[in-house]
Amino acid sequence: MENIKVKKINVVYLLSYILAPMLICAICFGIGIKFFPKGTMAVVLFMGPSILSFIWWTFGGRIIYKQNQKKLEKQLNENGFERNHTFYGNGSMIVVDVVHGNIALLFFWNPFENFILPASRITKTWVDDGKFGAGIMEGSSRVSFLLTIDDVKIRINTFTSNQRFRMDSDYILTGISKADMMVNVLEEARSKEKQNGIFT
Amino acid sequence: MIGAGKCQSQMEEKKRQLYMLPMIVGNYTSHENAEYYKKNLIKVNQKSDIPTGNYACGMIQYECPECGHEAVKLSIFLPVRDIEKQEDAFLFEKGELDDFIRK
Repeated sequence: MENIKVKKINVVYLLSYILAPMLICAICFGIGIKFFPKGTMAVVLFMGPSILSFIWWTFGGRIIYKQNQKKLEKQLNENGFERNHTFYGNGSMIVVDVVHGNIALLFFWNPFENFILPASRITKTWVDDGKFGAGIMEGSSRVSFLLTIDDVKIRINTFTSNQRFRMDSDYILTGISKADMMVNVLEEARSKEKQNGIFT
Repeated sequence: MIGAGKCQSQMEEKKRQLYMLPMIVGNYTSHENAEYYKKNLIKVNQKSDIPTGNYACGMIQYECPECGHEAVKLSIFLPVRDIEKQEDAFLFEKGELDDFIRK
């Protein structure tokens, strides 16, 4: 596990997630146009794949990701990984074992592969409060904490919005507090020596 | 300043103490029962003693110089860098926390 390179996106999964329903729709539309231009079958072939694709794009990824989150948590529990802190970001999940100095990562766009690594592989951690603008326009719409493992930069959002909030708003302060806490936890785990026998 | 319940005089601050509330940011739940605070608050000397992402609880004891009535104000906040994000404030006027703050 120690030398596995962290991969945030599985390109095959990403492309098939987007393109597979489009391909099925195109095939069904083609069959519909050629063999069933009218009637019930036409409705089924034109409407069915479109609705299913919409459902897939809306819920499919989330369901797969959630299921793999549960699977990872179960795996960690079974392997003696102390889940001291678990943070569920909107595109990634990080679990920190401060006791043994390990971390576990799971990404939305790579849900079938989880990464359990010694925290000593983290090279840098920091908080990005997303502050921009000046004067009364100063604010943020995203707060996150970041870590680099080898050369891979991982950003985990603690707050996101399509609006900009003042830096002293409750949303931003809560986001900053969560990010600060996670950076502290990661640094603590990083400073701990990895206990032999776990995930080696 | 807080007015005493019976004589309505301005109460004076008698003692203040800072505590850590062992709840992590994002998991705050409001409690109005004084027993909860007696059981869970951890005394600290300053804000920097509270781990990042944990809630703080400032307790101030007031006393009325006229009638001797005592009250304890409890304010719960999240320390975020130099800012205090207020969560809740409670006033206990029936002596629920008087012994606790004296400890």
